[in-house]
Amino acid sequence: MSLSMYYFLTITAVNILMTWAIYLPYRVAHLHFITIANMAISGYLAGYLVMTLKFPFFWALLIGFAVGGLIGYIVSLFIGDAPTFAVVIVGFTFIYITRTVIENLPAVGGTMGMFGLPNIAKTPAGHRNLIILILYGLVLLVGFLIHRFDNSRLGKAASAIFVDKDLATSLGVDIKKVGQLLQVFSCIVAGGTGVLYGFIYKSFHLDFFTFHLVGIFMTTIFVGGYSTLWGSLLMAPILYGVPLMFPAEIQSWRMVIYGVILIIILVLKPEGFITRKFVYNIGIRLSRKREKI
Amino acid sequence: MQVFIAQIINGLSLGSIYVLLATGFNLLLLVALIIHFSYPVVVVFSMYIVWVVLNATGNNLLLGILAGVLSSIVLNVVSAPIFQKVMKKRGEVDVNSTMVVSMGMGFIITDILSHSFNHGFPIAYPENLTGGAPLFRIGLISVQVGQVWSLAIGAVAVSAFFVLLYKTRAGRAFRAISEDPAGAKLVGIPIVRTGIQSYALSGIMGGMSAILIAMLLHSASPGLGDMLAHKVLAVSIVAGLGNLVGGLVVGLALGVIEALIQGYAAGSWSNAIAFVVMLIVILWKPKGLFGIKV
Repeated sequence: MSLSMYYFLTITAVNILMTWAIYLPYRVAHLHFITIANMAISGYLAGYLVMTLKFPFFWALLIGFAVGGLIGYIVSLFIGDAPTFAVVIVGFTFIYITRTVIENLPAVGGTMGMFGLPNIAKTPAGHRNLIILILYGLVLLVGFLIHRFDNSRLGKAASAIFVDKDLATSLGVDIKKVGQLLQVFSCIVAGGTGVLYGFIYKSFHLDFFTFHLVGIFMTTIFVGGYSTLWGSLLMAPILYGVPLMFPAEIQSWRMVIYGVILIIILVLKPEGFITRKFVYNIGIRLSRKREKI
Repeated sequence: MQVFIAQIINGLSLGSIYVLLATGFNLLLLVALIIHFSYPVVVVFSMYIVWVVLNATGNNLLLGILAGVLSSIVLNVVSAPIFQKVMKKRGEVDVNSTMVVSMGMGFIITDILSHSFNHGFPIAYPENLTGGAPLFRIGLISVQVGQVWSLAIGAVAVSAFFVLLYKTRAGRAFRAISEDPAGAKLVGIPIVRTGIQSYALSGIMGGMSAILIAMLLHSASPGLGDMLAHKVLAVSIVAGLGNLVGGLVVGLALGVIEALIQGYAAGSWSNAIAFVVMLIVILWKPKGLFGIKV
């Protein structure tokens, strides 16, 4: 496998996972950008554990998931039922604080970053294959869990919260608990993804975790469609892959392109390309085909 | 003691800019019913326009200031139909989608600034705008021209805004829409026209803020917009979204707290400490210290 294909596959998987990590809390109208800070915290921590304390990679990965979840849980105690704008600002504040702390910590390389992370397999090719295996295994697992959630009573409760919080409360939905659950799950996913993100490049640098990630994930989720998990799955490879085909001068305008696409879609097709109705219609067509067979 | 006094002066001048920005942001929220998260990014864009015009006209201050204010008004008013369209599509005021559209605008403006102006490097303003040497200096205490102007213009602009809001017909229309948009429409207040007036007014405030920030900081960079956007939204949330008086108090307080931290803590940590303080308040009271007004 060529190196460019390796990066395309791995970064696409990271984008899918992270977009889902934002999609889940958005089911209750929370734009939870703390996930990006969680990526950095868990990633750097795992890097430190592996490089300095010689932890095995899989232990570091598990700790990354756990730390993500723990931070998500503590924060969710306060903002589990907070308004959208409060959740947004908490996320941005966490990103700023995390960046400043990491910048000032020599143990994780400070502004220079952390380089020379070891391979997680015996050979570089083995390392790449294993990273892809873990990432797509995770995509399957998280996708399956979100699919189950979307079609459960809890998923319907989340939809009710998105439409009208008062209505959801009067129907007996515990807004805070649903919000907390989704925030914690998204932070767990983000923590683990952060660890893998660093091990893709075998390094961590603060430039990996800037606001451009907010732009990429937001464009993916809103262009793909924020009401189902399929939109992110479709849009992540397209939005990451298509600009790679353009000349380097155009690629450097990627954020402008994303911003324009985001605004056009929100104006013309606010629910994104893949809506719940679209998925429902496809389901009906497939079942009709099955009946014919 | 000298450090304390010097930092209080710094803090008040910085705080008055936060107040101006938060007032413009809250005006858009109350009357146009949008969360224009990237409003401060538009302000930074105007700062760049000021720089371009100053460079092109041999540092003609009048033209530079006019260009800064005009660009802010134009950018705000031009964005109005986009916000209106998004809101119409949802059939009701939708805080989430207007905030996301605004973020999209922010990505575009920030990326354009980092590609097209000064090769993405920070820009510096000439001395005839920033004022050069301090007006006076006693030990560590020095007062810069930019500080005096930001305090004076901040106070005058915010007072004028409150007079407009509470003593004029246009102000009554603004307040009526912020209280009850449907009721305001029923009594014949033109919702769209008043909304556009609020875009223009917040544009004027943004333009003035752009000039003052340039005078105070002496420089600008593409990332400044994101940083200001974050602080202005934080000020508005800590105060209580849409709460104009709360924004005034919290904006000034943030400026002073930030300056005091900068005076006594290591530079690189000062922003983080200010953010931690804001984070604690937001986590403690997500609906703000003074109560939400929307």
